Amino acid sequence: MKKTMLMVMVLVLVCGLGFATGVKEATTPATPRPAVVKLQVWYAMSGASGEAFTKQAKAFDEARADIELELTYSGSYADTATKVSAALLSGNAPDVAVMAAGQLYTGERGDFSMEQLVKDADFNAKDIYDGMWEYAKYDGRIASVPYGISTQVMYYNKKILAQAGIDLSTPPATWEEFLKIAKQAQAKGNFTNQPDFYGFDTSDGVWLIKSMLYQNGNAVVDSKDGKIVPVFADAKGVAVAEFWKRLVDEKVMPAGQHNNAEKKFLAGSLAFIASSSNRISRWPTSATLELGAIPMPSFTQKSIALGGNGIVILTQDVHNRQAGWELVKYLTKADNQTAFALSTGYLPIRKSAQESQLVKDTLAQNPLYKIAFDQLEYTWAYRHFGEMGTMDANFWYALDEIEKGVLTPAAAMDKAAKALIKEME
Amino acid sequence: MGKRKLHGYNWVATFILVAGSALMVFPFVWMVLSSFKTAADVYTYPPRWIPSTWKFSNYVKVFEMIPFLRYYFNSIYTSVMQTAIQIVLSITAAYALTRLDYPGKSYLIGLIRSTMFVPLVVTLIPLYLLVSGVGLIDTYAGIILPQVFSAFTIFLLMAFFSTVPKDLSDSAKLDGCGYYRIMMYVIIPNSLSAISTATLFSFLGHWKSYTWPLIITNKASYRTLPIGLKYLVQESSSEYQVMMAASVMAILPVLIVFSLSEKQLVRSITLTGLKS
Repeated sequence: MKKTMLMVMVLVLVCGLGFATGVKEATTPATPRPAVVKLQVWYAMSGASGEAFTKQAKAFDEARADIELELTYSGSYADTATKVSAALLSGNAPDVAVMAAGQLYTGERGDFSMEQLVKDADFNAKDIYDGMWEYAKYDGRIASVPYGISTQVMYYNKKILAQAGIDLSTPPATWEEFLKIAKQAQAKGNFTNQPDFYGFDTSDGVWLIKSMLYQNGNAVVDSKDGKIVPVFADAKGVAVAEFWKRLVDEKVMPAGQHNNAEKKFLAGSLAFIASSSNRISRWPTSATLELGAIPMPSFTQKSIALGGNGIVILTQDVHNRQAGWELVKYLTKADNQTAFALSTGYLPIRKSAQESQLVKDTLAQNPLYKIAFDQLEYTWAYRHFGEMGTMDANFWYALDEIEKGVLTPAAAMDKAAKALIKEME
Repeated sequence: MGKRKLHGYNWVATFILVAGSALMVFPFVWMVLSSFKTAADVYTYPPRWIPSTWKFSNYVKVFEMIPFLRYYFNSIYTSVMQTAIQIVLSITAAYALTRLDYPGKSYLIGLIRSTMFVPLVVTLIPLYLLVSGVGLIDTYAGIILPQVFSAFTIFLLMAFFSTVPKDLSDSAKLDGCGYYRIMMYVIIPNSLSAISTATLFSFLGHWKSYTWPLIITNKASYRTLPIGLKYLVQESSSEYQVMMAASVMAILPVLIVFSLSEKQLVRSITLTGLKS
């Protein structure tokens, strides 16, 4: 989320510079389609995700004699945002980019909307989850196609919980219940006798607290007279921030150590961690870790914020745009989505992918994947808007100040809200 | 005399120096040992020093995951070229700014100094537009040329050039030397330690350069090692043993450059404490 925040800020900076002249959706081709359309595709995915993506993209390349792909790894989310932004300014943008928050390019000065393309009968847009479409929108218009979407999952170290004598066959439903269990795990589960041992942490506090806000019936931002207004500092939002503070006060979560959370978890010095579902494909079993997962606890209602990537088509060339769309259709086919999801831990965007026998069999055998898939039922997408990066940065400051006792939870949330309002003015 | 010192306070000094050295060497030793460990060894607590099984395959895996040799060559080529051009430009600039008198010199120095206050992220997109405009995307020149100017190197050399006694260059002038020969035969030979230091800093800076080469290249054939390492770090985010193997290989050229310039580097540090 930190990287996403940085990347969003870069996008906004470039939008502020006034980058695009406005790209309209495909019109009637003026020239005949070349025998081979060459497509530049940049992608911000590495690891198992990068491998799974390039494998499918190469299969498409091989299957299509009329389309040739040039695949380029474009770095992290933030690096990709910088690279694409610079390339857009100079007219060297790729035809297609797989990146986070690419929908923000469809802002006031540019239009990379895919509203017309997704009406393609072969595509079956209705088969894609509504929440994921919401995630792909900018200002109410579809500006990307969701791809590589994930939710946070509550992972735990089975060895620690076994040592602490905790049975998770009935997982904690609420954060209060979770806090008790995390405390117990912290008190009795340090089987490696590590000096810096904690019950819970997350590598992405902003992502988690957005989910927690919704779980407590409090939105993050709202729309008033067509303007975005922050509402995260409302009473129920402050209650969430106060719970966050309790995690630190009761010494279950270390203050300001989120950057080390994953390393600590892998080293066996953290009982629980809230992290992206795509970590399933990355984290190994070792002498210090045996991975387990439970559904994310909640406050008054179940709710999990979606996160991840999308595919944007940036080319203005009609033929390349069409070829790019054909690539998008291929990548989002139900069977490809199934394969991608099961090898990465990302979620399939299609409902039909969930219904396949392969998915059912895999989920039956692997409960870790099942947790993320089950959570799809109550996911929601946060609104993408120009100042989103600033808001996330302010959220980080707020969490840091809350954890370190610099400000009260109410004051920190209020400060973050006021900073966002100032930025939007 | 020496023996007495050894039995006196020198033991304390030696102990402190050895302890300090061990502290400095520790991360390097840990990196090398970790590059041969299994994944299980990496996460064992208490930490395991010696690998339970020596896994040379971690090194093989690096080559399987990224085109390491190509990235390696590109990094060496671009870093050496950038360093060479930067040092030549910086020497001539520093000489002109310390030894020549001409109108507007102080403004020129101010202008160069002001570039030190502008971070790369601010100039990144305008620079990209410029380089893109002259068709240097996906070229070595596109990676090298925008990074050859360094105000830091110029000021580092200026500081040393100004310590070379003016009498020396005046004598050379009396012997019939022009500006070029004074620079070549008086200034440079008396500033080798500073040039050596500047070369080391310059090489290190270019060797680890990540953002610009990433932005300016799309084809793997032009990409440099830091991009490959970043991909590796993300790709094998939990496989520290593979990252360590790549890091060991990546650090070798830096060690070579350092060992070549170490003598001059130490000398330049010593000289900074002297006044003529």
